[in-house]
Amino acid sequence: MGEEQVVREIGHDEYDPKGTLALIGVYFVILLVMWVFMYFVEFLGNELTVV
Amino acid sequence: MNIHNYEKIWLMAAILLIVGFISTVTYGATAVGVDMISDDGGTVNASALDEDPRFSEPRVEQVGENEYEAYVIAQQFIFRPDPITVPANSTVTFFVTSPDVIHGFEIVGTNANAMVVPGQVTELTVEFNEPGEYGLLCHEYCGAGHHTMEGSVVVQPQDEFTQGGDE
Ligand SMILES: [Cu+2]
Repeated sequence: MGEEQVVREIGHDEYDPKGTLALIGVYFVILLVMWVFMYFVEFLGNELTVV
Repeated sequence: MNIHNYEKIWLMAAILLIVGFISTVTYGATAVGVDMISDDGGTVNASALDEDPRFSEPRVEQVGENEYEAYVIAQQFIFRPDPITVPANSTVTFFVTSPDVIHGFEIVGTNANAMVVPGQVTELTVEFNEPGEYGLLCHEYCGAGHHTMEGSVVVQPQDEFTQGGDE
């Protein structure tokens, strides 16, 4: 309807989604902590391991 | 090809994660010595367990210094023998089979956890250190009485241990 739209074009390397990076970083750290906890603490730390 | 920096980071992290997972399992299997449940026990005639030399009499048997073998039958809806009595500070190899349907064999709260398949002998070896008592549970649905299917593993002090089978 004739309204002016502001369009900003950015290049490939200007695209910089810091928030997404931080969120995925947090997920990744949770994954690492769960991995270490489940395998080394819960599994290897449990008794009667099958040998 | 123009790959965004963040994508490079993600690719590297994902590759490291896979390498990490594989080395963790390798470490467990080699340095720690965690083994798989094996089918080395072979097979039996599920409908004639009472004629089988290993399972006609479910029992715990001494096979070496501090080494024992337990022959266990899991059936609807009990474990035999019950309790399974083993001495402390021993290495026990369980041979478990079923005359009827698939059962589970889990020494509750431990890593000793296996399936029991009719005709197949499940073999697993574990080490018992301290005297005590463990629960034994069937965790594969095996019929109307499944929820009552339990037994126990009693670890007796070595000087009190006497060999025995079904009472
Ligand atoms: Cu069962």
